[in-house]
Amino acid sequence: MVTAPYMKPAGASGIIELRRLLTERFPQARTWAESAPLKTPSFLPTGLPRLDALLQGGWLKGAVTEVSASGPGAGSALLLRALLRQSHRARQWMALIDGRDSFDPAGVEAPVLSRLFWVRCQTAEEALKAADLLLRDRNFPLVVLDLKINPAVQFRKISGATWFRLQRLARQNGTPLVALTPRAMIAGAETRLTLESRFTLAAWPLSEEGLMGQLKFELARAAETGVVQAAG
Amino acid sequence: MFAVIHLPDFQLQAALRLEPELWSQPVALLEEPPAKAVVWQMTEPARQAGVVRGQTATQAAARRSGLLIKSRARAQEQTVAGLLLQCAACFSPAVEATAEGVCTLDLKGLPLEGEPERWAQTIIDSLARLQLQARLGVGDTPQIAALAARRARPFLRARDAGEFIAALPLADLEPSPDILEILQLWGIRTVGGFLALGRENLAERLGPEAVELFERAASRQARPLHLAVPDETFAEAMDFEPPVETLEPLLFVLRRFVGQLARRLEMVYQVAAELKLHLDLSSGAAWERLFLVPAPTSDVETLFRMLQTHLENVRTDAPIVALRLCAKPGRAARHQFGLFEAALRDPNQFHETLARLTALLGPRRVGTPLLEETYRPDSFRMELEGLVAPRPDEPASGADDPPPAGPPLRRFRPPAPAVVEMRSERPALLRSGPFTGPISRASGPWRASGQWWDAQGWAREEWDVQTWRGDLFRLARQDEQWFVDGIFD
Repeated sequence: MVTAPYMKPAGASGIIELRRLLTERFPQARTWAESAPLKTPSFLPTGLPRLDALLQGGWLKGAVTEVSASGPGAGSALLLRALLRQSHRARQWMALIDGRDSFDPAGVEAPVLSRLFWVRCQTAEEALKAADLLLRDRNFPLVVLDLKINPAVQFRKISGATWFRLQRLARQNGTPLVALTPRAMIAGAETRLTLESRFTLAAWPLSEEGLMGQLKFELARAAETGVVQAAG
Repeated sequence: MFAVIHLPDFQLQAALRLEPELWSQPVALLEEPPAKAVVWQMTEPARQAGVVRGQTATQAAARRSGLLIKSRARAQEQTVAGLLLQCAACFSPAVEATAEGVCTLDLKGLPLEGEPERWAQTIIDSLARLQLQARLGVGDTPQIAALAARRARPFLRARDAGEFIAALPLADLEPSPDILEILQLWGIRTVGGFLALGRENLAERLGPEAVELFERAASRQARPLHLAVPDETFAEAMDFEPPVETLEPLLFVLRRFVGQLARRLEMVYQVAAELKLHLDLSSGAAWERLFLVPAPTSDVETLFRMLQTHLENVRTDAPIVALRLCAKPGRAARHQFGLFEAALRDPNQFHETLARLTALLGPRRVGTPLLEETYRPDSFRMELEGLVAPRPDEPASGADDPPPAGPPLRRFRPPAPAVVEMRSERPALLRSGPFTGPISRASGPWRASGQWWDAQGWAREEWDVQTWRGDLFRLARQDEQWFVDGIFD
């Protein structure tokens, strides 16, 4: 009896054959095994020595890092500006998906801005679609998704599958996705940081270095690279 | 030595070039004389079914059910004629557009002595990639090469001109039907037999037409070629009948167009730097769009996606009756990634992403912000230039200005209207969408104004405030109206 390849009994050779057939028929598709985390983790430096030390080198490439900043004056925009400066220093592009069109370019020097690709969204839904496109694009070494001041009602419409899809895209393309959120909401985030700063009007006289010195972050969840929880 | 490239059934090949699958089906092409449309050329399945030249469409359809009747595609014929010349010019500097579907090449000086068969096969293969079936003949004169091309399957070299000519059937000289009938009645079947009759005898009995035939067959003098310069434009065109109303059939044709253009460009070692898409609408209007290829390429997928991404968001007022796609050739970008420079790795992919983002968010929503030369708050414009090729890091306007004091501002766009109660000339209570409550600390006022000399003049007063909850807002008063500009974070 002649057996078609897709009717072979399950087994190691059958699975290999099935994978081969799937790869031939659907070259764009990837199996979970193929998209598994890199064995040797690779990091993109954040430009902040304390944060790099906390994250064991920087943003984990191919992973989602959630930075939740719940309180007022937590410093998420300050962190954003620091990331932009680091991209400028490294002569790399940074994609900023601005979920509420709130980024203020006036606070950043013009040469630094020249390394920013700014996507100005109005809603979280738009921002997630833009993140999907930019992660597929693979041109940007760092993609930042800023949902810090999006209304809570917009988050209720986001299904968990959306975050998993973004996570899978980031993994496939080796791009670090940094999501700034008002509260912890990404269940599958490999790394989660919380910003604990509380800036007040008293911080106004401080220089940039002084402000950065007051930026406090805590590692709430570490990626599976042997990082132990610590405070920054 | 000369070579002739011959495209048999030229008009049929032109009509079916973008639908090669039709060659395996019965198809008849109609010639359209002023009086009556008759079958002129047909595919092999149609020929086997008994469809012959000169039948009317009705007679042909009666021979074979399911016979597809097609009219001549003039736009495609022009395209194929130009394409044949472009292809020929890739193999010889001296080419002549001899007739429809016939191109003559002067091989003088070309190093072909050893392997003309392989050389000919390269030309035939090149045309086959462009969906054209070619025959190629080589001979000492253009006339002999042309006769060899007609006999070629697909290549024939007439080594001994006299012997080759003598063995040819008489019909290959294309005499008039009357002359041919007379000669056949005399038992003359080949050109050799015809030549044996002698020039004077033929002139005496059959007149000047026979003499002209004799001269053509007996001549061993190479006529000078009328050299042609191939067109620099690379275009594909098609008329739709019936008009196209949806995107799918348009994309189907466009994909084939892009594939053909990419192959044609590759043939001349160039890539597409620009694509111009032109649509003629049934209303008489036209729609045109120029696509600049960020990193010139001949990759079919990249070029097609560029068109597809844009067309997905295009709505025309009327159905499309004709399509024309032109490619402007350019050199492939030689981009070397510097040791310290990280530019976009795939500009074409980014171009597509940009188009999709623009479709999602609208124009001026994506790009790089460029600060305006003004002190008016939140004044910037979005730039797209410099994204593909990074700008040099030159200090621009405001580069030396220190960053504003305090943590960065997250702006509300547009600013949120607010009601502010003042006590002792300082903000004490804020009522707005983002926040309502007492203000615990306030810093200000900072006054700014500009463009007082024209109608765009502005003047405002700003306060940085901290609410009892800890939120840090920027308040602004302009024209006696309060706004919350944003929140510090």
